[in-house]
Amino acid sequence: MNPLTLSLVLTTMISGTLIVMTSSHWFMIWVGFEMNMLAIIPLLTKEHNPRSTEAATKYFLTQATASMLLMMAAITNLLYTGHWSIMKLINPTASIMMTMALTMKLGLSPFHFWVPEVTQGIPLMSGLILLTWQKLAPLSVLYMIMPLINMNILLIMSLMSIAIGGWGGLNQTQLRKIMAYSSIAHMGWMLAVLTYNPTMTLLNLYLYIPMTVTTFMLLMINSTTTTTSLSHTYNKLPLITTLILITMLSLGGLPPLTGFLPKWAIIQEMTKNSSIIMPTLMALLALLNLYFYTRITYTTSLTMFPTANNMKIKWQFKNSKQTMSLPLMITISTLTLPLAPMMMILD
Amino acid sequence: MLKIIIPTVMLIPLTWLSKSNMLWINSTMYSLMISMTCLPLMNQFCDNSLNLSMLFFSDSLSTPLLMLTTWLLPLMIIASQHHMAKEPPTRKKLYITMMILLQIFLIMTFSATELIMFYILFEATLVPTLIMITRWGGQTERLNAGIYFLFYTLAGSLPLLVALIYTQTTLGSLNLLLAQYWIDSSTHIWGNSLLWLAYMMAFMVKMPLYGLHLWLPKAHVEAPIAGSMVLAAILLKLGGYGMLRITMMLSPTINFMAYPFMMLSLWGMVMTSSICLRQTDLKSLIAYSSVSHMALVIMAILIQSPWSFMGATALMIAHGLTSSLLFCLANSNYERTHSRTMILARGLQMILPLMAAWWLLASLTNLALPPSINLIGELFVTVSMFSWSNFSIILLGINIIITALYTLYMLIMTQRGKYTYHIHNIKPSFTRENTLMSLHLVPLLLLMISPKIILGTTY
Repeated sequence: MNPLTLSLVLTTMISGTLIVMTSSHWFMIWVGFEMNMLAIIPLLTKEHNPRSTEAATKYFLTQATASMLLMMAAITNLLYTGHWSIMKLINPTASIMMTMALTMKLGLSPFHFWVPEVTQGIPLMSGLILLTWQKLAPLSVLYMIMPLINMNILLIMSLMSIAIGGWGGLNQTQLRKIMAYSSIAHMGWMLAVLTYNPTMTLLNLYLYIPMTVTTFMLLMINSTTTTTSLSHTYNKLPLITTLILITMLSLGGLPPLTGFLPKWAIIQEMTKNSSIIMPTLMALLALLNLYFYTRITYTTSLTMFPTANNMKIKWQFKNSKQTMSLPLMITISTLTLPLAPMMMILD
Repeated sequence: MLKIIIPTVMLIPLTWLSKSNMLWINSTMYSLMISMTCLPLMNQFCDNSLNLSMLFFSDSLSTPLLMLTTWLLPLMIIASQHHMAKEPPTRKKLYITMMILLQIFLIMTFSATELIMFYILFEATLVPTLIMITRWGGQTERLNAGIYFLFYTLAGSLPLLVALIYTQTTLGSLNLLLAQYWIDSSTHIWGNSLLWLAYMMAFMVKMPLYGLHLWLPKAHVEAPIAGSMVLAAILLKLGGYGMLRITMMLSPTINFMAYPFMMLSLWGMVMTSSICLRQTDLKSLIAYSSVSHMALVIMAILIQSPWSFMGATALMIAHGLTSSLLFCLANSNYERTHSRTMILARGLQMILPLMAAWWLLASLTNLALPPSINLIGELFVTVSMFSWSNFSIILLGINIIITALYTLYMLIMTQRGKYTYHIHNIKPSFTRENTLMSLHLVPLLLLMISPKIILGTTY
């Protein structure tokens, strides 16, 4: 992309999110969301093909609907309370509508249908931005209005998301769709604990983003989007297969890797508040996620997947993809479980 | 405890920085030395544990298991030399690193004070084992075996996590040293039974209990020799160790919950022993015999009497050594004939007489011949089960007979009789193999002299 265009687009996207995160007036939050959405559309259609146009259209429609729902909720609240301030979202109707709007933006069940299809149609880097940066703005609004959210709706949506994120990913071989379902499930975990202790939501977010960034960077190094082409990694870069193994197991939430820490913290917070069946169900449904991550590691790292005979005679080019600070990301996303006592600084 | 953990962690740079021809020698020798550093822990107080730090302690239950763990690493490395000989050095080093990583997690698990740390490391032992089974196993079924292994264990242990955190919020701390002082007066409410179940299911799956044992034959058979050894010897005992620790904490009024598991264990013990009589696959036979022995351990722990705890601990150690030894013997057959079918390698006594001696000793300890420690375990368990319920002696007696039957079947099938024509050109026993077998047998036979160190906390 033209560097000037790219910088304009990125700046608008970033400032959109920052406007959302720093505002206390519902109108400005709407403005921020719209800026963010409009700026990311060119990023989604970086490669000009019909599939990316379809993805961008779906993204636009869902996000615009959600923004309008957000505006409607704010105005309903204005009608009943006379306030535009986000802290005064007292009217229950407005609060529920706002929750629906924000979860639609996040891609939470039952509004998750756009996530796999949009993620599939866009290039890997745009998919990365979609699944990590775009979650920041809605989550920050949810964090701010946390006391006023109806807990039951959020818990039902989270449980459904974890289930759908687990079962939906089982039948996929396209890696971008797998990452999309993974994002749906992780968002479910994040929002489940929001009404109990929002610090754990942030902890999960702060660990989910490095893990997803790591996974996407590993995929970008190989320029692969399907499981089959990822399984050729052992021919090109055998070390990456080990990294894919531990990153995938970390995403699945397996101790002693970092991915276990958010799940442990969330289960702890929910159990402390005497909710016991819910975290057990959530933990058991997370095993579905682990299954398809393990399947990826089976095809990539743990077996030498069948390839054509000419794989070994490929030219070994120097890596020219943008993989910023991959070793740091790997370390953060797999080895920070011993730092668990330090997480209290998040408060 | 750091004096054991840090050298074990340092074994990893040792592996990666060794020259290719010194790789096996270095790792075996230094892991043997580390197992020697574990011996002073045997110096236990009789009424208390060695409280080494805030995080680690060792008492007379965890010390024999720690000894077994550290003793097993050099044995695993010795056993893996042959089938790894043709791999490139990087893969050999990766394999040894997996074993060392597993060792680190196991040492920390057995010496953990805080139950959540025990849980995290309990789960952490799954990852290197999964990698060993799936990456270095022999047949295509190893993929399925890895999935069964991982998911059975995880599905059982996630409720354990929730139960542990619930107990931590209600009781304040999960430190095992404090656990002995709790007075838990729970009433007969439904929730307490669920809590008991949540605690126990993780260990029941790991042991394994008869109904949940499907992962074990798959995992044991498909794993490479080091994987089979560590699975049979130690990872099953993790379940037993966990159950022994947790039953201290649970309320005595909930003991009625044990009855279904007692029934499953009693029946399963007889069933899996009987299946052994019909196995054609040697490793599968040894795997099912593991299920049978562990069913005895489960029963002993569930009846919670001092004798039964002694029997359970002794049986765990004895079975660890015996089962690992049997897997090594089966592997020595496998390396020669590249098949696990028993009848393909029979009449070996004529061709490999020293190996036949090891087979004989292994079979004798497996069928709990007096005065071996296997007998001490089984006898204590049988006696305490008899005192719990007179009728259980029938099934226990049947099990002892069937155990003797299949062990002798295995011995006679592989050793006695006329040898087949196709095994006349197998390689004779390596010194390495004889060392491996004797290193298994020497602790087993020496413990006969003073079994009190493996009798656990209630001695």
